[in-house]
Amino acid sequence: MRKTLAYLLIFALLLPLSLFAAGSRETVVDENAPVTVQYWTHEDPARTQLETELIAKFMAENPHITVVRSTQAAVKQIELVQTAFAANQGPDMFNLPIENQYAYITNRRVAPVDYKAAGYASKQDLLDTYIDGVLDTVTVDGEVYGLPLELTNWSIFVNKNVFRSAGLDAEKDYPKTWEEMADISEKLVIRDGDILVRRGFDFRYPYYLTFFVPMVEQLGGDLLSADGKKAIIGDDAWIKALTFMQQWGPSGRNLGSPTYRNARNLFNQNNNDIAMAHTGLYQQGRIEKDNPAFFNSGEWMVIPFPTFENAVRDVASCYYGHFFMVNDDSSPAVQKAAWKLAGYLLSHGEEYLTRGGNIIQPTKALFASDTLKNMPYSDVFINDMNRSHMIYYGENSAEIQTQIRYAVESVMLGGVSPEKALATLRATVQEIVDEQ
Amino acid sequence: MINKKYKGIEKKQARWGFIFVLPAMLFFSLFSFYPIINAFYTSFFDKRALSKAPPNFVGLGNYKYLFDLDRAASALSFYNSLRATLVFTLGTFIPLLILSLLFAVLISNLSSNKAKKFLQISYYCPAILSSVVAATIWMIIFDPRGLGNQWVNALLRTPGIDRRWLVDPVMQQVSTMVIYFWKYIGYFVILFITGLASIPPTIYEASTIDGATKNQVFWRITLPLLKPTVVLVSVMAMLQCLKTFSTQYMLYTNGAPRAPINVITFNIYVTGIQQQRLGRASAMSVVLFVMMLLLTLFQFKTTKSEQVEY
Repeated sequence: MRKTLAYLLIFALLLPLSLFAAGSRETVVDENAPVTVQYWTHEDPARTQLETELIAKFMAENPHITVVRSTQAAVKQIELVQTAFAANQGPDMFNLPIENQYAYITNRRVAPVDYKAAGYASKQDLLDTYIDGVLDTVTVDGEVYGLPLELTNWSIFVNKNVFRSAGLDAEKDYPKTWEEMADISEKLVIRDGDILVRRGFDFRYPYYLTFFVPMVEQLGGDLLSADGKKAIIGDDAWIKALTFMQQWGPSGRNLGSPTYRNARNLFNQNNNDIAMAHTGLYQQGRIEKDNPAFFNSGEWMVIPFPTFENAVRDVASCYYGHFFMVNDDSSPAVQKAAWKLAGYLLSHGEEYLTRGGNIIQPTKALFASDTLKNMPYSDVFINDMNRSHMIYYGENSAEIQTQIRYAVESVMLGGVSPEKALATLRATVQEIVDEQ
Repeated sequence: MINKKYKGIEKKQARWGFIFVLPAMLFFSLFSFYPIINAFYTSFFDKRALSKAPPNFVGLGNYKYLFDLDRAASALSFYNSLRATLVFTLGTFIPLLILSLLFAVLISNLSSNKAKKFLQISYYCPAILSSVVAATIWMIIFDPRGLGNQWVNALLRTPGIDRRWLVDPVMQQVSTMVIYFWKYIGYFVILFITGLASIPPTIYEASTIDGATKNQVFWRITLPLLKPTVVLVSVMAMLQCLKTFSTQYMLYTNGAPRAPINVITFNIYVTGIQQQRLGRASAMSVVLFVMMLLLTLFQFKTTKSEQVEY
């Protein structure tokens, strides 16, 4: 009996190992055979509606290709894709923010663009289609690894009603500098003791690479040195920016905090909760969906990303890209089908802008189109984009953002001095850079 | 002859026993043994989540990194995770054990069956809620404009005070304990009620005839006879507390700073998933596994669960 039990136990222990040992994928090269493309993307109801229509047409035109589109919340998507790739079970086609996606290129998990399959005559034809520099982000050793689904930057949405209720005229009194942003917010806030019942403006926590690093850059600082080897350049700039955040938080002027509800979601409700929120052009579609009366009221406007009064550089909030990438482990036939799908979807740029979530695909044609120019306040976004640059992206950009979050929140919420927070930030980011 | 026949029946029963247990053994080996062995193996390598290159063997390098004294002062170090885990476990496990026993005794002593069932269901409800629903409920409570501040300020007559549930390091830890306690108290209450129901009523009847007071009945009869259940609940509660993750994750994603609530499991998540360092995360998992194993053995040894004395 004991022997039987022992054999059973050994068998039970070895079984999973044998199952996992047999897990490698076979490569099938047959371009004419029916293929299925697993396409994972983040949730966006308007884009889902458009892409469902486009994919149905695509499959009708390409009957041998079946597309399975799966969506997840944006934050969850980052983890799911990574976990799937770690287990060699990644989707055939996916998109993520570039700061999370770049590591897939450096780790050779994604395939170079198949220009022909994507509908371009050559690599040069592809490069000529997009505005200058956009594809540099996904180009490594001369190979392009992604096609941009969207290029997004954030400006400031303003609720004119809330300004008026505080005796201000949004058109004239809107903040141009960060110092004005704090002073005007002070006039706009309504407090119940320490508790903020209405906020003037609040930041978009925890996307510190997008908005906080540009604030540091305005003051003359940088995240990394030009050669990328030294972390945290320009101590004065970092300390000033951290001090500004400290003053913004509950231990300073108490104008906002990461623990209050997301400002951009509150903005849509027009419930006298918030006067200004930091978000992208796509917010227009969301306001229209959540609160059509407010959208059509003319009581909102968009203003540029402010700068500090003593700014040495005019830098707006960073823009970031979501790129379509294709799994290098997928079979050649599936890769070809996936690039064909990506090319097909991206050939409908104006539809993505107007009814696919108001997202901007950075093609020269779209930037020159009346459709973009006629979108309300698109000029503010385009001007801000011209003042900004692509978000910092690298193999460990997500980890660096986590460390900046820790630094900012320790001064805002934890009572840590900006100098001490900066010292910790420098040590941790330098370690990340050195290990990279 | 009788003995031989008896042995044959026993053998037959045992064989069927193995057949019934086999699916569970296979399931357990697939989803528990394999990950444990794999984590132990991975902890000796510098394995990155996305890298296809064979991972470098680093020996005890990952363990050295975790226990590097130079990093001890860092707010996000593994030492801080050990501290956060210990504080959370002690702060949650002891109240869970004592209060779930107390509530179970109170519910068991109720004369109305309807009241008993109502209270059992009420206590158990939070345990079956998904983490997302629990998060939504508690974020409404802990929002600076939320119910937490409103209730406390109304009770203490201190209008406008922000209790900083998700901001202050101490309050943050208290918040995670409160959420966890709320979610799991019902589960342990049910376990204790089951244990109490298994005590033969004749013993209580005999003690009543002997003139024992309620206090004496609890300390001399109920508690000693409940010892196996107490040990079971204490081990389960302790292990659950050591494995806590979703509560801390929920607070962090809603804007709370990480350091005060960076328990080991949360550090494993950040290291393995966000930072993609699977080797280092595996080393943390092994340390947690060893901690749980030693603490469980210690509890079994000190409580001698099989001995019931009264």
